[in-house]
Amino acid sequence: MIDAAARLRRPPWLRIYLGITLLLFLAAAAFGLLFSPRDVTQGDLIRIMYAHVSVAWISFVAVGLTAVFGALYLWRGKRRDDVLAVASGEMGLFFASLTIIGGMTYSRPTLNTFWTWDAKLTLTAIMVALMVGYFIVRGLIDDPVRRGRVSAVVAIVAAASLPFNYLAAEWFRTLHPAKSVALDGSGVTMDGTMLAVLLFNTFVAGLIYLGFMLDRVRLGHVEAALEEERSLAATRQAPMGKEVVRV
Amino acid sequence: MTGSAPVGAGAGTPVGAPPAVELRGLVHGYGGPPVLAGIDLDVAVGRVVALHGPNGAGKTTLLRLLATRLRPVRGHARVLGHDVVRQAHDVRTRVATLAVYGGAYGALSGRENLRLGVALRGGGEDPEAVDRALERVGLNAAADHLVRAYSSGMRKRLALARLTLANAPVWLLDEPYAALDEQGQELVDALIAAARDDGRTVLVASHDLPRSLATADAVIEIAGGHLRVMARPTRPPAATTSASTDGESGA
Amino acid sequence: MNDLHAVLWIARKDLLQEARSKAVTVATVFFSAVTLGVLAFAFGENPLLMREGAMGALWVALAFAGVISAAQSWQADLEDGALEALLAWPVPRAAVYLGKLLANWGLMTALGFVLLPLAGGLYGADIGGGAATSAGAGGGGGETAPALVVAVLLGTIAAGTLGFALIAVFYAGLTANLRARESLLPVLMFPVVVPILLAAVRASNALVGSGDLDLAWAWLRLLVGFDLVYAVVCLVLFRFVVEA
Repeated sequence: MIDAAARLRRPPWLRIYLGITLLLFLAAAAFGLLFSPRDVTQGDLIRIMYAHVSVAWISFVAVGLTAVFGALYLWRGKRRDDVLAVASGEMGLFFASLTIIGGMTYSRPTLNTFWTWDAKLTLTAIMVALMVGYFIVRGLIDDPVRRGRVSAVVAIVAAASLPFNYLAAEWFRTLHPAKSVALDGSGVTMDGTMLAVLLFNTFVAGLIYLGFMLDRVRLGHVEAALEEERSLAATRQAPMGKEVVRV
Repeated sequence: MTGSAPVGAGAGTPVGAPPAVELRGLVHGYGGPPVLAGIDLDVAVGRVVALHGPNGAGKTTLLRLLATRLRPVRGHARVLGHDVVRQAHDVRTRVATLAVYGGAYGALSGRENLRLGVALRGGGEDPEAVDRALERVGLNAAADHLVRAYSSGMRKRLALARLTLANAPVWLLDEPYAALDEQGQELVDALIAAARDDGRTVLVASHDLPRSLATADAVIEIAGGHLRVMARPTRPPAATTSASTDGESGA
Repeated sequence: MNDLHAVLWIARKDLLQEARSKAVTVATVFFSAVTLGVLAFAFGENPLLMREGAMGALWVALAFAGVISAAQSWQADLEDGALEALLAWPVPRAAVYLGKLLANWGLMTALGFVLLPLAGGLYGADIGGGAATSAGAGGGGGETAPALVVAVLLGTIAAGTLGFALIAVFYAGLTANLRARESLLPVLMFPVVVPILLAAVRASNALVGSGDLDLAWAWLRLLVGFDLVYAVVCLVLFRFVVEA
């Protein structure tokens, strides 16, 4: 049984973890903004890429994991899997939104437009729509078991569309003439330092994701325990050891 | 308080055979206080059991759980030894339901609806069966009219025809007398009696206490999420079994 | 009793209902004709733009028609609890899905075949003409090329409508079972079928514009891949959609 009361306070090790993550985030930002080289063509504007691309990659992972946890829930039926799925879904939606904001921030000065049909950005926008659908469906169902199962199905269908959406968006661009500056940094020749900074930023984004997950899952368990409490309250009053009615 | 419940399987059941219906610690609810708060019940094979209780007491919930249309929140339910969650398909092959709604496709005729049911349940060996069933429930004349033109009584009769065609060992009837005239209600009683003679197990949820007392082997009341036996009317043994029933009667 | 039998009975039931009520046919034909007309107005009088946009308009019309068709087909099951009764029978859930899918796909493909010449005429796109302009029809005789191009075009329509039908019937069942607003269906469905829309439009354009079979095939691969993957995914997951 889940001990809800004990989980209401953030445990010390989690506080330490989040503190370290915060410091690493500041370090990553410093590297990105100050200590990495300027780009040959884009100058200082390339620095947005560190925040934008790292967050994008983690958002894809988060959404993929939502589907994986959902599938696990369908298979095993353990409430923990559903808690993990919704936590990862929230993170996926959050990071995808950040990606879009970053993308718009990036494209305005470089391409002089707020939106471009870059494959990754298009995919991210579609992913936001998919995750919004996921949460709408969750909001419609009160029964926790059914909610977990139906939303798992939605997550799996949504995640399965991502490769196809990416290919379609990519070919849409490349099988026909398209702009040559890619927002995913792939058109930019990266020297060693830039790649290292990008990877470090991605690593930190991953740590942030993990930190949020740990905290959110903790809360999710408390929510689950509360739901169980309420639904079974009346049954505790049943007389124990009564005989089976036989007809 | 629970009614006196003699221990042991109902008379007439071979030793060791699973009960037709077995519920243990069954809990179900829709968000608030549970509708079924821990039901423990055994129904022996071949019994006709009436479920009695006010609206919202849980009669429909119980029947839907047995029909595999709902999952128990806690506890388990078995029909002829098969679990309603883990062996749902096996349960469905053994159970036929008469629900409160009609359950037929309005754009198809009565006959077409029955043929569809027979085809999907795996029947179809006897081409005359559908005609006989329509005759039995008195829908011969209207058989080829679209169901959307049927009255509620006619839809009920069609559902009864579908029930008999299913040839299932367990019947679940939810308010079978509703929407039927006196003649129709007697038809239901006759079908229940015939089912009992065939050795089927029948659960009937009904408000009609006199009819329940007249047709059932036991009347169970559901209230406050729990069961108790209200009555065990004296009943002549089913035509095909040599069982003797308990002789208690009265509420 | 075998499952294929059940699938065919359910498809037959759906088609029979449709033949009598014509609810889907009327709604989709009317709606797609209106869509084509409205989009034609949106493109203005520019004949080049119209010709390039013909296939895009066609597929937008088909996409909306797919939503309407799937939603309507589940509505008929919800009336009078017919679906509840159906699900209480020992019918495999996948068979229910497959039967409805076949019926919907059949109707949508038929609609697509009807809309194709309509879009061509309305937008000034020469459907068969693309084949005639396709250079390099291989070593074979030039007379096989136009027929082949049109055949591939019809195949594209069938593959594209299958993709729509797979997702539409699946999610329409979900929204119907949840008693959700009908507006939820396009919200759930469209982000998933974007690849179909893109691939179908590009493939159709390639075929109609220049009879470019290679380019069309590049996009068709995406279509067929999508159809295969989602046929499996939806068949496996459908039972969770209709369970209580």
